[in-house]
Amino acid sequence: MIDPVTTEIIRCALLQAAEDMNTTLIRSSYTPVIYEAKDCAVALLDRDHNVLGQSSGLPIFLGNLEVCTRETERMFGRDVWREGDVWVLNDSYIGGTHLNDVTVYGPIFVGGELVGFAASRAHWLDMGSKDPGGSMDSTSIFQEGLRMGPMKIYENGAPCRDLHEVIARNVRFPHATLGDMRAQVACAMTGQRRLAEIVGRWGVETVMAARDEIFAQTERLERQAVAAIPDGTYTAGGYLDNDGIDLSTPLPVNVTVTVEGERVHVDLTDCADQATGPVNCGAAQAVAAVRVAFKLLISADVPLNGGSFRPLDVATRPGSMLAARSPAACQYYYSHLGLLIDLVVKALAPVVPGRAAAASYGDSLIVQFTGADPRTGKLYVSQEATVGGWGAWEGGDGENCLINNVNGSLRDMPIEVLETLFPVRVTRYEVRPDTGGQGQWRGGNGVVREYEFIGDTSLSLWFERSVTPAWGLAGGAAGAPPRVTLNPGTPRQREMLKVNALPVSAGDVLRCESGGGGGYGQADLRDPDAVADDLTQGMITG
Amino acid sequence: MGAKAVHAAHLRTAQTAYGAAMTFRVAMDIGGTFTDVVCYDEQTGAVLASKAPTTPGDLAEGVFAALGRVVDDPTLISFSWISFFVHGTTQGLNALLERKGAKVLLLTSAGARDVYQIARGNRERMFDLRYRKPTPLVPRADVMEAAGRLDWRGAELEPLDEQAVRRAAQRVRAEGFDAVAVTLLFSFANPAHELRAGEILRQELGDDVLVVLSHEVAREWREYERTSSAVLEAYAGPVVRTYLSRIERRFAERGLTVPVHVMQSSGGLVNAGFAMRRPLQTLLSGPVGGTMGGVAAARLLGRANAICVDMGGTSFDVSLVVNGRPDVSAEAHIEGFPVLMPIVNLHTIGAGGGSIAYAEAGALRVGPESAGAVPGPACYGRGGDRPTVTDANVVLGRVDPAWFAGGLMELDVEAAGTAVATLAGTLGMDPLQLAEGVCDIANAKMAQAIRTLTVEHGVEPREFALVAFGGAGAMHAVFIARELGIGEVVVPRFPGAFSAWGMLEADVRRDLTHPYFRAQDDLDGGHLAARLAELERDAMAALDSQGVAHDRRRVEHALDMRYEGQDYTLTIPLLDATEPASPGFLQAIAQRYAEAHTSRYGHATPEAPVEFVMLRSTGFGTFPKAATAAPARETHPPAVRDVIFDGQVHRTAVLRRSALPGPLNGEVEGPAIVVEETATTVIPPGCLATVDANGFLIIKVTS
Repeated sequence: MIDPVTTEIIRCALLQAAEDMNTTLIRSSYTPVIYEAKDCAVALLDRDHNVLGQSSGLPIFLGNLEVCTRETERMFGRDVWREGDVWVLNDSYIGGTHLNDVTVYGPIFVGGELVGFAASRAHWLDMGSKDPGGSMDSTSIFQEGLRMGPMKIYENGAPCRDLHEVIARNVRFPHATLGDMRAQVACAMTGQRRLAEIVGRWGVETVMAARDEIFAQTERLERQAVAAIPDGTYTAGGYLDNDGIDLSTPLPVNVTVTVEGERVHVDLTDCADQATGPVNCGAAQAVAAVRVAFKLLISADVPLNGGSFRPLDVATRPGSMLAARSPAACQYYYSHLGLLIDLVVKALAPVVPGRAAAASYGDSLIVQFTGADPRTGKLYVSQEATVGGWGAWEGGDGENCLINNVNGSLRDMPIEVLETLFPVRVTRYEVRPDTGGQGQWRGGNGVVREYEFIGDTSLSLWFERSVTPAWGLAGGAAGAPPRVTLNPGTPRQREMLKVNALPVSAGDVLRCESGGGGGYGQADLRDPDAVADDLTQGMITG
Repeated sequence: MGAKAVHAAHLRTAQTAYGAAMTFRVAMDIGGTFTDVVCYDEQTGAVLASKAPTTPGDLAEGVFAALGRVVDDPTLISFSWISFFVHGTTQGLNALLERKGAKVLLLTSAGARDVYQIARGNRERMFDLRYRKPTPLVPRADVMEAAGRLDWRGAELEPLDEQAVRRAAQRVRAEGFDAVAVTLLFSFANPAHELRAGEILRQELGDDVLVVLSHEVAREWREYERTSSAVLEAYAGPVVRTYLSRIERRFAERGLTVPVHVMQSSGGLVNAGFAMRRPLQTLLSGPVGGTMGGVAAARLLGRANAICVDMGGTSFDVSLVVNGRPDVSAEAHIEGFPVLMPIVNLHTIGAGGGSIAYAEAGALRVGPESAGAVPGPACYGRGGDRPTVTDANVVLGRVDPAWFAGGLMELDVEAAGTAVATLAGTLGMDPLQLAEGVCDIANAKMAQAIRTLTVEHGVEPREFALVAFGGAGAMHAVFIARELGIGEVVVPRFPGAFSAWGMLEADVRRDLTHPYFRAQDDLDGGHLAARLAELERDAMAALDSQGVAHDRRRVEHALDMRYEGQDYTLTIPLLDATEPASPGFLQAIAQRYAEAHTSRYGHATPEAPVEFVMLRSTGFGTFPKAATAAPARETHPPAVRDVIFDGQVHRTAVLRRSALPGPLNGEVEGPAIVVEETATTVIPPGCLATVDANGFLIIKVTS
């Protein structure tokens, strides 16, 4: 039996190895989606595809990188792994997300023996979809760009020229894309080096014994945490606004959470069938979303590794929006996942009062515009997520203007960077008062971000959560829904939440307003001093 | 107090020998608890160190007390003997930590009022539904807007609304603000609007109110980071200004005739006059002294690279010396707020002596929770009952109770033993095994943190010497070095006052930046060289205003570059200001960039176009570096204790630092423990230590 000291030292070394991989990836990537939005994740896996160490910029990538190595092995057999090879995969129905999320992974050998895998997933700016950067109205995966099953991009340490050529000729920004790919390869190599060092120092047997103990520790902690929750069946339901094609039909998402002793079962079968528009995801991603909720509510402080989520199982229905099959469109795979996380929180809120909060504004709220920059003649794509209000809880107001739950470290685009890179001007970036739900504790406020285009451009929008805006808890009010207005206060004023490739002209103004978070408790119980301060600070206007 | 008596005798002798000609270089590091003073006698090369409690009411008192401790009669010291005076302060940082800074009004461009509150909208903790950003230093109600707008090149789209600026000034007067921070969009490209706003505000408000213009604090793009930097300067600045002017006055009254120099976060010195105008630069003044000590130590040892390890009761700071220079970055976060300024990279890890060991689901964990000073480790006897790293060291016999904290604190060995034994019982381990395990885990975590830092630079820790200081640094250094494959550990003299010593060894430094956003196709080498020549003139003028003699000035130039589309830049050094005008420059610099990229990230894209973002010119004013005399050797018979290494009891010599054999006079064979007033060094079995000509303890590490 391995001693607790060696186990702990190995555990810390594995976590640090994952951090080093993440640092390598973020610092050498080429596109803002990775280095600003942190739309990426890394994992160090053992040879049985369990997570040894993980680091993620995006919560929603939690614990599903291993599906890529696992599926590769299932398809081609264990002997397919060769030293010096690096693989790539972006198939939505395996990885669970959209084609832009590309997983790069390689086996790690020590002394000729397979000991594990290093993997990273990162958002590539453009995959050659019908519209630059991705479409808001795709109805089939075949409109969404280059789709790669498990394929080698490096063989025996040398680049596979054929696949490099295929990528370079199918994406719109080959330099940046191949640069990001190289950053991912460098990240995999960092992981390989680190794990080889760890195994070299302690030996495979000891590392594997430590792994078993580390996983067992995590499992024990999570089972204890689950056991503390009262048994019962808890449900919540909500709606995705629509699928981006048929704008009048909300799509239901219902969750049923059953807690029984040390186990949690989450049933997601009662949700909409896979939709025409791009709001579908692979089952792996629905599972990942539930895991995010599990972490948020049950095991936030428990180390994350291959022992995580053992008390949790998730049921999905193949052919539904949350377990889509080919050729379902998947570009906006995450809108219902943010909703799903909020719904699991809502369902369990009464029994985990110490961690729950009212709902947040909910979605990434994407503003994308693309065209030829009149200043240089070059093609560009600008893609931004929008911050909004978060939910209040017993004892605290929700935060204002914070990025949504499927994102994490995502930072907004500085006005000065945006205007330097793209032909646009940001004329307002402000707190949107009165949008947080009222309550004894107030929901956070959303934001107003207003753009003025200085060249003709093609505008796409994906704004969500207007049908079930951020709900309150314990008598708190719901937050305000989002609102987007083109040319506000002019005869050409037009409101919309989702649109694909709408032509707009130089001088047009776009006002984007995100939703607020839900309130907590009865508004009439709010401390009068807090109300007075809200007025002073302009968080409410009276 | 034997050491003190010796110092005093020495000083008196020196005075007799040199009379009025004697001169001292003096550094003082005023920390939250203690004031450290290091004096260097320019005639004899002798170095003296002293410590006294910091006196928050009038900090000068603590400095006088510390100076006074090196002589029996403080009146013997005349401040007129001081030829050079340097100071590190945590005043600004403390004001921030305690939220006791100035009342600041923030003036922004119209429409951008909430940039500071939004704070880029990211979450630092991923699994927390109750996440809150750091509370802004300026509440939303104290942010005002002025119309007026520049475009991305700095061209004016709309003139500055001067009435709005005057309204802000009125409010400052009416509501008693101490400072105004001004951040207007694109001021990094064209500061005209900010300069005009500053002019109006100064006209209206006079000198009583600090006016901070963002482009003067940080001439870099990204409005939130620039705003945060300007607000921090406005928030901490008045405190620093008041403090420095008081210090200057008090020391002048005591006869000081030379300017007070202040350590900047960049690791360079400036005079107090400049520090009062740019107080932000002093924010991390204290701790970076240690890194500059590491730079000096590396120079004296003839080594290019060093890892500086500063371990105290509750913290563990790592910094790097690479190619003889401190590792300085252009951006840092302090208390969750970004600051754009050159700042020595101090990587802080919660793994000091106070880190608590605990059991969780059968696992043994160490830190990051710390016992702090109260209750502190169990061995402090202040009621702490959870075992810490310090307690583990006590149980292993690695701390000599007689010398703990310079003999100023009684050590409760029994309490440490009980705390360790209790945890050992929980985990079913032998107490000694547990104690050593706690140290091993702490050492492994510190080593991993160091490896991450070196990986970021694309360098191997093996190539470094490990310079250990702080009270506990040298207790763990050899073990950390082993984890990293490092062969040499250096314990400088006065490890407890190393920061102050480092300040004595630092150079004057002024950093100038100039935004220079260009695609490679738009690069005009002649134009770039002309801009650099201007920066060089500015840097020389800045050094001139610091009183640096002509033959001691030097300006280095570098370019921030990246591949088109990247955000992070790498700073690529230039040969000199004229290099860009030479033929083939673009090719040469692109090649240099690709090499740097490969060394840092393991790959490069030579065919991809590069772009230029920023010019960086740094002026250095060097001081003559005098040789240090080896300390006099004293005789003390060694004591012997039982100490645990690798699960075995070793009879271990406990030696006084001052009694170690001098250079070339022999070696100390491990196991041994070397004690001195402010620190303890542990030399495990198999390692050999020598004292070099500088008085440094050099440990050859064997695995």
